[in-house]
Amino acid sequence: MHRLPRHRTQWEIDEQTTLGAAYVRSLMRSQLRAGIAAFAVLALPVVTLPLFFAALRNATVVWVVLGFGCYPLLVLIAWWYVRRAERNERDFARLVRGTDPPGTP
Amino acid sequence: MNEAYAIPAVAAVVLVTVLIGGFGLRISRTTSDFYVASRTVGPSLNAAAISGEYLSAASFLGVAGLVLVYGPDMLWYPVGYTAGYLVLLVFVAAPLRRSGAYTLPDFAEGRLESRQVRTVVSVLVVGVGWLYLVPQLQGAGLTLQILTGAPRWLGGALVAAVVVLAVAAGGMRSITFVQAFQYWLKLTALLVPAFFLLLAWHRDGGAPPAFPAVPDLPASGAGAGQPIATSRADHPLYATYGLIVATFLGTMGLPHVVVRFYTSPHGRAARRTTVFVLALIGFFYLLPPLYGWLGRLYAPELTHTPDADAAVLLLPGRAVGGLGGDLLGALVAGGAFAAFLSTASGLTMAVAGVLSQDVLPARGVRHFRLATVLAMTVPLGGTLLVSAVPVADAVGMAFAVSASSFCPLLVLGIWWRRLTPPGALAGLLLGGGSALAAVTLTFAEVVRSGWLHTLLAWPAVWSVPVGFLAMILVSLATPGSIPPHTSATMTRLHLPESLTVRQTAAAAEGGSTSPPGTKSTPSGTSTPSGTSTPSGTSFPGSTSSTGSTSTREGR
Amino acid sequence: MTGTAAAVLLALCPLLLVGGFLLGRRTAHPAGRSDVGSPVEHATFETLHTASLAAPPLRAGLTEDTARKSARRLRTLLGTDALCLTNRSTVLAWDGVGEHHAKLVMERLAGLLPTGRSAAFDCGCDDVDCPLRWAVAAPIVVDQRVLGALVAYAPRDSAVLARAADEVARWVSVQLELAELDRSRTRVIEAEIKALRAQISPHFIFNSLAAIASFVRTDPERARELLLEFADFTRYSFRRHGEFTTLADELHSIDQYLALVRARFGERLAVTLQIAPEVLPVSLPFLCLQPLVENAVKHGLEGAVTRSRITISAQDAGAEAEVVIEDDGIGMEPEALRRILRGEGGPSAGIGLSNVDERLRQVFGDDYGLVIETGVGAGMKITVRIPKYRAGVHSSPPEHDPA
Repeated sequence: MHRLPRHRTQWEIDEQTTLGAAYVRSLMRSQLRAGIAAFAVLALPVVTLPLFFAALRNATVVWVVLGFGCYPLLVLIAWWYVRRAERNERDFARLVRGTDPPGTP
Repeated sequence: MNEAYAIPAVAAVVLVTVLIGGFGLRISRTTSDFYVASRTVGPSLNAAAISGEYLSAASFLGVAGLVLVYGPDMLWYPVGYTAGYLVLLVFVAAPLRRSGAYTLPDFAEGRLESRQVRTVVSVLVVGVGWLYLVPQLQGAGLTLQILTGAPRWLGGALVAAVVVLAVAAGGMRSITFVQAFQYWLKLTALLVPAFFLLLAWHRDGGAPPAFPAVPDLPASGAGAGQPIATSRADHPLYATYGLIVATFLGTMGLPHVVVRFYTSPHGRAARRTTVFVLALIGFFYLLPPLYGWLGRLYAPELTHTPDADAAVLLLPGRAVGGLGGDLLGALVAGGAFAAFLSTASGLTMAVAGVLSQDVLPARGVRHFRLATVLAMTVPLGGTLLVSAVPVADAVGMAFAVSASSFCPLLVLGIWWRRLTPPGALAGLLLGGGSALAAVTLTFAEVVRSGWLHTLLAWPAVWSVPVGFLAMILVSLATPGSIPPHTSATMTRLHLPESLTVRQTAAAAEGGSTSPPGTKSTPSGTSTPSGTSTPSGTSFPGSTSSTGSTSTREGR
Repeated sequence: MTGTAAAVLLALCPLLLVGGFLLGRRTAHPAGRSDVGSPVEHATFETLHTASLAAPPLRAGLTEDTARKSARRLRTLLGTDALCLTNRSTVLAWDGVGEHHAKLVMERLAGLLPTGRSAAFDCGCDDVDCPLRWAVAAPIVVDQRVLGALVAYAPRDSAVLARAADEVARWVSVQLELAELDRSRTRVIEAEIKALRAQISPHFIFNSLAAIASFVRTDPERARELLLEFADFTRYSFRRHGEFTTLADELHSIDQYLALVRARFGERLAVTLQIAPEVLPVSLPFLCLQPLVENAVKHGLEGAVTRSRITISAQDAGAEAEVVIEDDGIGMEPEALRRILRGEGGPSAGIGLSNVDERLRQVFGDDYGLVIETGVGAGMKITVRIPKYRAGVHSSPPEHDPA
């Protein structure tokens, strides 16, 4: 009665083989891409807005954008990112195990 | 302001905090049902706790004060405080949880396998914690002065005493419940009065206040002669960018934020928690600007005093007036104290934990108490020595130091395999050290004006790139010192829990992987603890004194 | 600044937002390959996975049984009408049509088996309806010995099939080689499991099974539940991976343990829990609290006490968690306890205590040994302090997510 690792790829990752490291790198890249994407959506307007406000000199716009408008946007970006990151993890688990991981909480 | 209502309100907040801290756990979690007892903290409860701990005096009083004086440009503060969590979410939240680290020094040691880095991080954590505590105590002093006319130092001393007693006595045991409660209390304390304030404003004609396009403050502005004010007026755009960089990147390194993530059961929960946090504090931050806005209308004279931070406290009395105004004022005062208490206790616990683990020579409960006192004494002294800087600005400096040291450490540590201990040290010392020095010089008022002063007061714009560059360049120059288990650590940081590595982590540390139960060579004898047990018996703490025995027979 | 400039900037703002969003999307969905696999790739993996199903039976070696199981998969893999696996002397398995060819196979292989060279032959079947006209045979070689052959049949000769059969035979060989390797590894694992079994007291197993048995007639449903608890508990105790676990998992196992104990002692045992949720993720050495609870149960129920109460609490204490296990049982002479912890006690006394103490010190350092307060007739209170983080202490993931 011999025991094989249930999932060979899982074993590769666990045992830190070069192949396992490559798998983890892929996961990291996909997650980093999602993170950078979300960060870009945040950073681009943020970098330009102060210049824009300085040029505009209209206090009402500043009040509306910074006082109210930006918060829903922040939550929206966060929500998008979490969905993306969880999908990446699910895809990765599928890649490793061949099926949907049974133990996902 | 009528102190007859405000003092009981403050006392009630203190009392309820201590009671929930001490007994909340007892009430909610004493059970014989394992299913109930081992229920982990859900994302929404944990998020409320994180938000409760995070919303400090700077948010509760400071934002409104700055908006009142400087106008809507100051809205970048609450936006930055919130957006910091988005950056934390996308780069740090899940991997940090998966690292298993409780504090930042833990993370540094686990990732870089170097005691030296751990020590430097510990020192910086203590520094950031102290920087952040000073404005909390200042805010408490200001609040108590407004409420009762007591001298400035008294409020800070009161908060310090309550926090030290509660933390040292182990009274903050059910910290998650306490902090979650504080969030809702703070929200209520601003939301309900805001409703009445708007009604009063409408009654008074509903004219919008006039903010001057450029606040003409250097002559007579908040804390006239206070260097921060002049530099903001001199270089508003630079100051705004400095603030944005500091708050966006600094949140992830705040010591009291990091420890709360440990409570999440796994990385996914940590992520979801962060989204909830964003929503909760985003909702809260809709309110303080409103107070600043109305403050311009009802308390315009505050712009000419150094106490613009008091706007939130004074508004209900001014706008609503009468008994209603007094009651609302008492509610706001209670909320303000909740803000000081929650943030101060969270920070004190985090700083004391680091002090007792990495700075003080020995460990144990008694040393944790000593560390608590130490963690609070230094900022209390700072409050007395340093002239009043607007609380939001002072907090901004703590963010700047955190952004220039911990942000590079966390982001590169999590996403870059080639980070080395020497690189991390260089980045921490150059980035964090220079930011810390700049902030200290600003507090000490060594340079009072000109570009140099502006650069020192808003260091993040240059110190964050310095931190990142130093870390990257020195790491690239020392490829030989990449920690040996980097690959295993990275796997642990990024692998979803459903696939987590089994066994390797233990093997990676060189620890024996022999099955538990079989005796392997005792490595415990070479522990650095230094407290050798007498005559080789393995029984250090066992107390079976007659005293303890007799109490037991008494039952 | 003029109004036109302002208007231009105003128009620019949404553009930037959209630009940022698109850039973000592009980075997130790169045009080329996805790092975690496109649907097409996933489909390929499914196919490969199906193919790999043939492997497990072979890992047990080449016998009639394993050959039969894998032949089916291998035939699907090759897409032939019939496939045959042999060892050196006889046909082990035939899958597909035309089994009457089986008796002729060994003759055809006479040239292949000694040399280890692949061969192709015409079937020469008399039955006109038989679709099997041509076959290719490839050797199965392990350790440079020809173990047998794989024979694939087709209606006509096919280079593709020849090549495929060759490759598949080589793959089967590799699997069989690995089977050899596995056999040696199994021996190591068996030794490990023997060591692990020492962790659960045999008394406990006998008593639990006896208690379960007593319910089988009177309350079969309860017996079934208890049996499941028992299975779960033993699975946790015998688990192979990782030296560390989380407090949540350890508590879960204690719950199962207590359920089994209660089955035996019923209402005589009352348990109160007070767990701070903040410390549930704390990592600690595997099975280091359960023996303490076992000890408390033993002490609590040993005396003539009619009812025993055990309190388990886990509190948050800054950078540490503090776990206290307390019973109101017969307690113990402090001197006797000291002897046990020094490892001088008899075999029956405080079974797990010294082992737990030793492991805690080994992992966390001498500051973190057990602290025990007790006296004769005064119950026992055991305090364990666990640092929330210690380099090298990482639990395996929770197997039961209580959330």
